[in-house]
Amino acid sequence: MSDVQLYLFEFDRNPKEAAQIAGQAAKRLETKELKLIALIESLGEYLNSDDTGIRSKTMAFVADVLSLTPPRVLSIQQRNLLCDFILSRISDDNAGIGSATKALHGLEDKGQWDQIRASTIMQVILDHTSPLSQYRQQSDRYQVLLLIDLLMAEYRDAVHDLHTSSSDFLPKFVAYFDGEKDPRNLMVVFSILKVVMTEWDISANAQELFDSAFNYFPITFRPPPDDPYGITAQDLKDRLRACIAATASFAPYAFPALLDKLDSTSLNTKRDVVHALRSCVENYGPRAVNLYSVTLWDALKFEILHAQEDDLIEGTLQVLSEISHQLAKSTSDVLITYLKPIAKECNEHLEDTPTKQSQAATQILKSIASSCPEASNFLLSTVLPHIFVLYQTSDTTAKRRGLVDTLVQLFRANVSVFGEWRSLGTSARLVDGEIPQPSAVSNGLLKYSTQTLETLTSGLAAMPVKEVSFRLTLLDALLQLTRVRELLVDDEIARVINLFNQIVLSEESYGRDEVKAAAINALLEIAHQKPQLIIDHSFPAFLGKLPDKDSEGPEKYVPVLEAFAKLGCEDKVFPTVVLRLKNKLNAAIQQNSSGTYICAILSALLFTFSRDSLKLDGHPKYCPYLEDLLIPLTKRICTDFQSDNQVDTVFYLLGRLHNVILRQQSSELQKTLSAETYRLFLGDSVTEGIPLRTDSVDSQSHRLIVTTYLLAAWRKDVPLPHDDSVVLPALTKLSSNEEISVGTKVAILQQISLIVNKFVPKSDLKRILDPILYEPLNIASGNINGSTIRIAFALFKALVLRSANEFEAIFTSLCSALSNPEHGRSVGHGFSTLLQPDEILTKENHCTISPIHRQRMFTVVVPAFNEGFRNADPAAKTNYLVALSGILRWLPYSFWEQDIQALSPLLLQTLDIAGEEDVKAGTIDTLATILAENPKAVEEHAGSLISRLLNNSSSKSNPPKVRAKALHCLSLIPTQVRRELVVPFRKQVVKRLTEALDDGKRVVRVEAVKCRSKWTNLDEAGDEDD
Amino acid sequence: MDDIQNSNPTVLPSSDLPSRRPASPTTHHPSRGTGLFDSLVPAYGYPYDPFLPKSPSASSDDEDDDEIPDPIDAQEIYDLISTITDPEHPLSLGSLSVVNLPDITIIPPSSPASRISTVQVLLTPTVTHCGLATVIGLGVRVRLERALPPRFRIDVRIKPGTHSTAEQVSRQLGDKERVAAAVENATLMAMLKKMLEGCD
Repeated sequence: MSDVQLYLFEFDRNPKEAAQIAGQAAKRLETKELKLIALIESLGEYLNSDDTGIRSKTMAFVADVLSLTPPRVLSIQQRNLLCDFILSRISDDNAGIGSATKALHGLEDKGQWDQIRASTIMQVILDHTSPLSQYRQQSDRYQVLLLIDLLMAEYRDAVHDLHTSSSDFLPKFVAYFDGEKDPRNLMVVFSILKVVMTEWDISANAQELFDSAFNYFPITFRPPPDDPYGITAQDLKDRLRACIAATASFAPYAFPALLDKLDSTSLNTKRDVVHALRSCVENYGPRAVNLYSVTLWDALKFEILHAQEDDLIEGTLQVLSEISHQLAKSTSDVLITYLKPIAKECNEHLEDTPTKQSQAATQILKSIASSCPEASNFLLSTVLPHIFVLYQTSDTTAKRRGLVDTLVQLFRANVSVFGEWRSLGTSARLVDGEIPQPSAVSNGLLKYSTQTLETLTSGLAAMPVKEVSFRLTLLDALLQLTRVRELLVDDEIARVINLFNQIVLSEESYGRDEVKAAAINALLEIAHQKPQLIIDHSFPAFLGKLPDKDSEGPEKYVPVLEAFAKLGCEDKVFPTVVLRLKNKLNAAIQQNSSGTYICAILSALLFTFSRDSLKLDGHPKYCPYLEDLLIPLTKRICTDFQSDNQVDTVFYLLGRLHNVILRQQSSELQKTLSAETYRLFLGDSVTEGIPLRTDSVDSQSHRLIVTTYLLAAWRKDVPLPHDDSVVLPALTKLSSNEEISVGTKVAILQQISLIVNKFVPKSDLKRILDPILYEPLNIASGNINGSTIRIAFALFKALVLRSANEFEAIFTSLCSALSNPEHGRSVGHGFSTLLQPDEILTKENHCTISPIHRQRMFTVVVPAFNEGFRNADPAAKTNYLVALSGILRWLPYSFWEQDIQALSPLLLQTLDIAGEEDVKAGTIDTLATILAENPKAVEEHAGSLISRLLNNSSSKSNPPKVRAKALHCLSLIPTQVRRELVVPFRKQVVKRLTEALDDGKRVVRVEAVKCRSKWTNLDEAGDEDD
Repeated sequence: MDDIQNSNPTVLPSSDLPSRRPASPTTHHPSRGTGLFDSLVPAYGYPYDPFLPKSPSASSDDEDDDEIPDPIDAQEIYDLISTITDPEHPLSLGSLSVVNLPDITIIPPSSPASRISTVQVLLTPTVTHCGLATVIGLGVRVRLERALPPRFRIDVRIKPGTHSTAEQVSRQLGDKERVAAAVENATLMAMLKKMLEGCD
């Protein structure tokens, strides 16, 4: 049996086998066992068969053999012979067209065709297979299209020659693809057509060609689920759009056709039209766009003035702006013809400001004025005078506000075109690809700058403080005006600055002080554009308001300090802000100001140093702020400051300042400073004082707070100034001293945590732990009291974070202490300190934070609590619940997801504990998380959860915060828990919630209203189902 | 979209709508400033100490003090109904000035023995012939019935002189049976539901 016979036999039964047969034939061709002539002759009988199936399968055999034949097996004569053979088949017989074209494709792989060959193939296909839609099989058509695509890509000149040499080629070519519907094929058709549209002279057939693509508009294709070909509607839309926008010759057909479709009621069609219009305007160029610019405006304006969807407005605005951008490339007449009706219509809408349409007009103006300098200038010259007249003659603030809002948008557009002081706008051209040159067109706003500035400043200064929104708009307009590059002169900007200063510093406070806040932000923005003007004009005004000695209350200086500190956020003025604050602090200490004032200035300093963008790691050996700021400041505060003013907060803020500046320094620098950890740069006279001298406690104990922050700043490899075996016992003893202030005590415990977490090597942990668990503290044997609990938790936390195994020993002791009748509750509360966010023990402070510490903690602690709870006395049970809640509230849901079944009953019981508001609040948060993540887990407890939340929402023994939280949690239930489980409770809940609607506190009522409406809607949803 | 009765209404910016403003933040905030520096002190760090019982003075926040009740006032009623969406525009009744703070009155109980207060709301339709005034009024009524405790009687009317058939509409809105019947109407309820969607 011949190969083809075998192939035909297997073709339908076993395609794999058939392919193998073709492969063998290819192999034998390669080894010359089989002669090409013999192969072709063997086909004869089947190619002449009456059965089209057999004929087309035979062609499939040829295609398979050719695609499997390695390159260089067939000589050029043989390939030509084959090519002629296949072309003769195509002209004689339509069966197996897909395979025939695939075979041609396979031949091309073996060696390029010459131009004549390529054009013959094109010609034969067009002459004998048109229209393509006569072939039912998508795959047949697809193969033909791939071949044409290949010809267009590789033999472009040959195909183009066909077009230039015969005027009826193009109509035939275009008609060839008529009626194609398959998305895969269309992707190829569109890309073939796009080549023709963009590269050929198509003027004689533009309309047919346009229609051949536009017939598919809009694309409504929706890919089937699990579409194996991965063609999306968007892919098709993109290719079709590229065709429609391919050549300016389409303009006479495309614009009317697209505008016609714009009237469609379908929003998606409108979106496609707007996208297509934008591409057309971009590609057709100014000449074509000019003919349709006014028509387009007349049609498109309705999409903005009678807006339906935001993205549609945005897209339409882009088209309008792109038209102006294109026309600007042509003569100015052309642009003005387009802009005139726009300016006129917008001016009309502005007359009724503020309305929906005046807002739309503002959007239009902004977007077109942003397109190019010429458009910006024309619109300013036609709209600004009109706005000024309207402004002068208007009688309501609402109208004036709307008009100024239009100004704001025009100025913003102006900035985007002409640039701001610190950067050039879009009009700037890059010369030599490197140096940006400002636009050649001068800014049309210059002509109006004096008048505008006058109107706005007098408006803002004269307007009463209660006109908040109007003043905010005026302020914004002034700010935008100062931003415009090379518009206002320095003196004019200084006037604006002084006006803003006045608002921040002298104006009475009103409402939420939004205007003051906006004025500060505006000053900050001006500081970014013109730093020196702010230093010259704002700084003296601000510092003049800050006394050296505070004889009046904080309301006089805190707002000024806040504003001043905010200005420090601008890099250019930051060093000056720091310097002035430092001088003010020195003066204040000199004048014996109060601790409150010192704290306020320190807070301002700390604020300027705390922003994320500030880079403090500079030189490896030198830190400017150490010598200039930290050391003199610390000396001042510790020695010159009146000791009765030396409150915890002063040292806390000082410590934070040290920490934030020093922790980013290199370890090289830090090592030279380590000796100062306890001396605090105060010289030898006070060395070794604290904490090693534990016999007496004096006012200097506060300094330990600063020490804590220095320790926190050091990197791991910075050596401690004293051995831990000396420091830790001293700190432990000091922490139980009754005379020490609370803040200092907390700092001492934090020091213990820091040393154990960061500086003690793993091998030494047991040595550190023994004196706590056993002699002398004996926590393991039950020596539990107020101070030993704290020490135990400080150690525990340090060990948990580094995931050291030693933590289990402390945990065992603390867990059994939960049943201690006197201190059990305190121990329970202590557990919430372990995982809560911590200021000191953080990665930024170079601490050892194990990535798995929370998992380890959870797996050890929670089963122990569970068991402890079951075995505890009724009185002690709540302590376990408190402890558990303290752990869970800081753990992400994923950690306890697995144990949710066991935990839920415990959490519900926690809601019944009296007098533990904080614990309850945490537990309600935890329950809310469960409801959000995995409501199934609490389904079986739905009834008990609902009634407990209702009780907590109405119990007056709970603070308002807990009542509100309970209501919020309750409001999650109707949408999260299965309907049939909740509906039975609906009546009861809606009824009982009337009580919360009458709660004394507004925060609770707000939640009650939301919650009740969720439960009420539960019923409405049910009605719809019925 | 053809039957829009007022296609170009006046729109107020949200910052101009009445809202609850503290008398003055600088006297209100413990630091006597706007609280800019508060973020410097982490909420859970120093000086929060879980071992110490919270001293009552620590929470000076009015919001957490049950001793100072916040009575239900006109602003609260305004906040409840101003967010209702207009059936014609995707805009709130507040920004269209259909609901105005001065037109909300709370009338205290007539005698010391009674607990019943009355909330009176006067609506201003955007145009005098607005055919949807009844629907808006019904929406306001339903919203208040759901959100206020039962000791309030609710009285929703069209502001006299702002609508061609103000009296007639007001009478419809005051008629309990008609309101009850309207709430049973599925089409009307679907419309109301859409209007009230933005309220939560």
